Amino acid sequence: MTPTELESALALRCPGQFVLEHTDGTSVVRCKPGALQTICGNLFLDWDWAFAGLTVEEHSGHWELRYVFYRDRAAGWVHVLLDVPLEQRTVPSIVKYVHAADWHEREAEDLFGLRFEGHPRLGDFVLHDDAWQEGVEPMRHGFSAYTPVSERRPNHGWTPHRVLHAPGAFVMPIGPVFAGLAESAHFLLETVGEDVVRALPRLFYKYRGIEKLAEGRSIDHVLALSERFAATTAFAHALAFCRAVELVCQAEVPPRAQALRVFLAELERLRHHAGAIAGICESTALAVAASQVAILEEDLLRVSGALTGHRYLFGLAVPGGLATDLADAGCRTALHACIEIVERLNDLERMLRLSSSFLDRLEEVGYIREKEARSFGLVGPIARASGVARDLRDIQPYAAYSECPFSVPVEQEGDGYARLRILFAEARESVRIMEQALARAASGPVSAPLRARAGAALGWVEAPRGAAFHWVRIDTSGTVARYRIVPPSFSNWLGFHASVEDFAYQDFPIILATLDLSVSENDR
Amino acid sequence: MAFDLGLLLFAVLCVVGVVLGLVVSRRAVPLVVAWLGAVAALPLLVAGSVALIDPVPLSQALWSIPALGPMLLHRDALAGVFLIITAIVFFAAAIFQANSLPRLLGHNVRAYAAWFFALFASIAWVLLAGDVFSFLVAWEIMSIISYLLVGFEDENEQHGRAAYLMLGVSEAGALAAAFGLLLLAVHAGSLDFAALKSAAGTLSPGAQLAVFLLTFFGFGVKAGLVPVNVWLPGAYTAAPAPFVPVLAGATLNLGLYGILRVNADLLPASSTAPGIIALIVGTISALVGILYATTDNDLKTLFAHSSIENAGIVTIAFGAGFVFTAAAKPVLAAIAFVVALYHLGNHALYKSLLFIGTGIVDDRAGTRDLDRLGGLIHRMPWTGAAMLVGVLSIAALPPFNGFVSEWLTLQTLLRSAELDSVGVKIVFALCGAGLALTAALAVTCFAKFFAMGFLGITRSPEAEQAAEPTRSGLVPLALLAVLCFGLGVLPTYVIGALDRAVQPIAQRSAALALVPPFFETSPDHGRLPEPFVREFHDLGAQVGQGLAPAPGLVILHRGESANPVVFAAAPTYLVLVLGGLLLLVYVVVRGIATRARAVARAPCWDGGIKRLLPEMTYTATGFSNPVRVIFHAIFRPTVVEDTRETVAEHFRTAIRRESETVHIVERIAMRPIPRAALAIARLFARMHHGLLNAYVAYALLSLLIVFLVFTALTAR
Amino acid sequence: MSQWVRQGLRTGTKTSPYPAQPDTSPGVTPGLPQGGTFAPGAAELLASRCPSGAITARNGQVVVDPGRCIHSYRCTRQISSPLAFSRDYEWTLAASTDHHGGRLGKPFTRSVHLIVVDAGDCGACLNEVRQLNSPYYNMHRLGFFITPTPRHADILLVVGPVTDQMRAPLLKTYEAMPTPKKVIAVGTCAVSGGIFGPSFVSEAGVARVLPVDIAVPGQPPPPLAILHALLTAVGRKAVRTAPVHQSVADEKEHHGV
Repeated sequence: MTPTELESALALRCPGQFVLEHTDGTSVVRCKPGALQTICGNLFLDWDWAFAGLTVEEHSGHWELRYVFYRDRAAGWVHVLLDVPLEQRTVPSIVKYVHAADWHEREAEDLFGLRFEGHPRLGDFVLHDDAWQEGVEPMRHGFSAYTPVSERRPNHGWTPHRVLHAPGAFVMPIGPVFAGLAESAHFLLETVGEDVVRALPRLFYKYRGIEKLAEGRSIDHVLALSERFAATTAFAHALAFCRAVELVCQAEVPPRAQALRVFLAELERLRHHAGAIAGICESTALAVAASQVAILEEDLLRVSGALTGHRYLFGLAVPGGLATDLADAGCRTALHACIEIVERLNDLERMLRLSSSFLDRLEEVGYIREKEARSFGLVGPIARASGVARDLRDIQPYAAYSECPFSVPVEQEGDGYARLRILFAEARESVRIMEQALARAASGPVSAPLRARAGAALGWVEAPRGAAFHWVRIDTSGTVARYRIVPPSFSNWLGFHASVEDFAYQDFPIILATLDLSVSENDR
Repeated sequence: MAFDLGLLLFAVLCVVGVVLGLVVSRRAVPLVVAWLGAVAALPLLVAGSVALIDPVPLSQALWSIPALGPMLLHRDALAGVFLIITAIVFFAAAIFQANSLPRLLGHNVRAYAAWFFALFASIAWVLLAGDVFSFLVAWEIMSIISYLLVGFEDENEQHGRAAYLMLGVSEAGALAAAFGLLLLAVHAGSLDFAALKSAAGTLSPGAQLAVFLLTFFGFGVKAGLVPVNVWLPGAYTAAPAPFVPVLAGATLNLGLYGILRVNADLLPASSTAPGIIALIVGTISALVGILYATTDNDLKTLFAHSSIENAGIVTIAFGAGFVFTAAAKPVLAAIAFVVALYHLGNHALYKSLLFIGTGIVDDRAGTRDLDRLGGLIHRMPWTGAAMLVGVLSIAALPPFNGFVSEWLTLQTLLRSAELDSVGVKIVFALCGAGLALTAALAVTCFAKFFAMGFLGITRSPEAEQAAEPTRSGLVPLALLAVLCFGLGVLPTYVIGALDRAVQPIAQRSAALALVPPFFETSPDHGRLPEPFVREFHDLGAQVGQGLAPAPGLVILHRGESANPVVFAAAPTYLVLVLGGLLLLVYVVVRGIATRARAVARAPCWDGGIKRLLPEMTYTATGFSNPVRVIFHAIFRPTVVEDTRETVAEHFRTAIRRESETVHIVERIAMRPIPRAALAIARLFARMHHGLLNAYVAYALLSLLIVFLVFTALTAR
Repeated sequence: MSQWVRQGLRTGTKTSPYPAQPDTSPGVTPGLPQGGTFAPGAAELLASRCPSGAITARNGQVVVDPGRCIHSYRCTRQISSPLAFSRDYEWTLAASTDHHGGRLGKPFTRSVHLIVVDAGDCGACLNEVRQLNSPYYNMHRLGFFITPTPRHADILLVVGPVTDQMRAPLLKTYEAMPTPKKVIAVGTCAVSGGIFGPSFVSEAGVARVLPVDIAVPGQPPPPLAILHALLTAVGRKAVRTAPVHQSVADEKEHHGV
């Protein structure tokens, strides 16, 4: 769908209600409030655009709401902008059409105080009702990031939101401190005693206010923040931030840096997938397989540490390239190690296929159908396991991915076993990409100087868990004015909450493990 | 002499009670009923004890009905046991009237008082009736008064319907039982029980079986046996709180009394068929009863189903007794009957305890729904303690009385190894397995009851207001709890007493088999081989002899005379040793191990959430859901509602699930009857076309038939 | 199931030689930056480059506070006079060990139960703790076990800077543990807040909320460093004579503990 086609299609549906400008692969559609639902609904439902996220920015006299949609390389990106005067706090909700915007609107309501008309479940999201009173809007400019809130008036009469109405139904609470090594999150499982009918996750126990902490800080400091809020995929997020800054400052990243960026990103993906597979084996209590895969994960951590100094690849991505060059010999050693590790992964996959007790616990567990995956905006391996063949490295290539062709594994079943197969397949593809990237890493500089400019841009990356979007606005003093992160776990947690119903209680940890949802990434 | 005095006093007090109840002001009725009822129970208790101890049964003619013969009062040891049980239950229930009757002052409490004493008297009359006529008259009075009392709170239409169903099924049962008794009477040519007994020996086997079936299912109505117990859950739930303990503790026993009297006393047991039928019906009743109890949330209905279960267990013991009698093993039969009476008595005690407690909970916490109770043990500690005793008893846990009788029942079933017929042994084995399953489910059921009702967090604001009842509520609870404990700790005395009742029936004494005095080496217990006795002495079996009041309880399975197999339980010693060990542990832990450290008290670990709300705790439905799922084939729930509501095509706002179940007995036994009747009626309805010619033809046809019959008769 | 047995035999023993011998495998630790003497300008530059303020420069003398180091590598990459990184992993910083009702004592030397509370960590520290269960480190052979309930736990491991919402659950977990107990703050965020705390939703480390016995800096500390901390907690390893970490000492005075 070319921009002209888009413009004419929109003109048919809401004439005179919008203005479209197209630059460089991105169409910016400024629309009136009345046309917002139509435009977004058509983009999402009729023309199959994916929803990246909603960014709210508070300017001096108005709110700017930015709804980002994307498709493939040919169609590019669409930013739907809605400007609303600062005193007006209500905005139409698009959640009826774009289900994927559900949690974006709830987050904006909690953090900015905007009311989305038509959204039935606002409140008690980031700022829990039994901990914060109404009216605390941390993302507003007047709120200081470093002073604690003086007066806390929580709602002591809070009760969980109940969906199941059946005689004898109750809500089983889990967490936030539970299991041995699980991240802190609170779950309320509605049940009548046997199956869990509905699971309500209450997240944001780990909310650190990254987006608020970034405001007014230097690019270098915000780079450190972007690396550290979800450190198991640190390089991917740092890369997305760097790309956004490079787009704002119009910097040219040297080809060796692009190739090495691909190499390191795939190394991180391989290590993350090994960890996810180990987690799945652990959740089904197949201890031997879990140990075997844990060995591989530690091997990959050591490879990363030996190659770059840090096991989680900290301090490598900088705007303009890489902070330090990597010796070719070292890269080749790392590559050979990765090839060997992937061979052992393949062996393990073969052995797992023969373990019927293991498969029994994964097959037909945690079904997410393709229709739901699309409508809730799921991303990453779990979306591809439900038939949604979207991978940002493929449809919106960045760094050197367009020169390292690879295939995107897709499955149709949408159950736990399909998600496991995707992880194994992507691990194999990662090593193939690493080989090609290293071959294309010609000698040369690994970073280019950066001239700070004012502006705003979107940086995106296919992180190991899925599509991550970082929106960065730099102001004239060279500091970051707004930093918006849409991590893949944010989209995928919504999918878990909205589509997994009626499962056995024993399957709960397995479903969570196969969905590979990160709480720290979601909570920021 | 003491018996006559006691009975006379009892009768007079009942009459006084009826009169006073009708005359006194409304406010005073509860106290009048309580005092008079309690006082009236005491002479009955004395009379029953005398009847039990006196080895010679006595008959007394009252009035003579022309053409029917004298109305007899017959007392023997069996009646004595039942009288004692009834007296104790009525004593406790009467005191309880002072606590719970004031809530019913809006109804016609004077009538209630009159009926109460009339019922008391009629129950005693049933137990003491010596001929068929007085028995049936007393039975009818008891039935009708029970109906009146069950339907007392008549503002609720459901109560009326439940009472009416009870009346209907009771009358059908009474009719069947009367038919059976009359068959015997016709054969004997007289109405009094003694004549029936002597003549029953010459009854044909077919007639014997017919009498058994009629009386078994006829009396089984009151006892609550499948399939004639459709009325029981509804009636027990509908009955007013002051009356239910009597219903469960006194009138239920009458059904079992009737079965025992007719089939063990009057009829000779010649075939094993009656026993097998009783075993099977008892097992099914026990299983069905406990299954529905486990999945029920209304306290009264839960205990009603549990009463069905316990009646089933008593019937199992009866069945074993009948089979052993028919197989010419009188000692085993005696053991079985002793065990049956023991369980019957235990049930009367702990069921009245539990129903009194339920009435108190309903009054204080405002609700009977387990899903709305919880945490009551903090608010009503004494009631909770008494209910805990009741729960432990009914779940058959030592050292309480339920343990003794259920353990003995299982052991009695195991004795079927001494029978010859393989088929009978298989039936015994299956029934034993059923009983074991019942016992396991009972533990689940009552763990659910006590945990959801008394422990944990309070689930509703009404339950938060609960407080201890007044003395008139606590005294009967305490009394029954003490009795439950006593009957569990001193079984050897109880067995000795029950043995007196069983001896005339089974012609043998079970006491020696159940409580063999082999802890003493006196020579006149020569049934036991010397070396065997000495071996047990060496094991220390005589420890505490002379100190502890009861040495223990043994069922001896004599294999070889050299190596007999012994199954033993010693509740007395158990209590002493258990108490001693607990004391020792306490002293060691508190005195030595943790002396230097403070004991930290912290709230229950809940994962670190802010507040554990009542809706976050397990409900009774959730606790019993696995049972509902496993026994799905029996419950066969029908889904009433299973809808999902969504808003904005994405937000799941509601998932509604509702299902209902129809009781299996109603499904299988009751529903088909009206359906069949309707089908037959529909068949006959085809005769009614409305065509005049057809009706004329019918008239002619019937005239022809009459003519033919008349001709045939006169021709002979 | 025999395939797993064969696979296990084929894989062989992977366990690290630590603590009997030092583990020198590559990639096993990121190391910590080492201070030193520099030209005054270079020293000031190093101090200004560090995003978490771990480097202090005085008269050319550069001191690195390990409790604040977030492994940003600004002191060693894209800089003219870089700091050198160590290759070790025994980084434990100990505060007083006599809190919470006494030492852990002899029974706990070879059998200790840990409970891990995630008070807002980024995932890396938790992942490194997870690696302790893998065959490479296998903390079970040293007698450390993880328990999900605080009632059975002897040592509380906290990762993360203690976010606002996790403050109460963390305190509840601590109070639910029976004495004797110890608290270990794992990772720079837990020790000093890293670059997240203090803020409107985050504390500057666990010491602001609970009395901390042992601190392990690093972002994240590698599994061997965490293992060293655990061994220190039960008295099987001595803490290196290094000055008590400044921030922990500050927090103690803050708390008046």
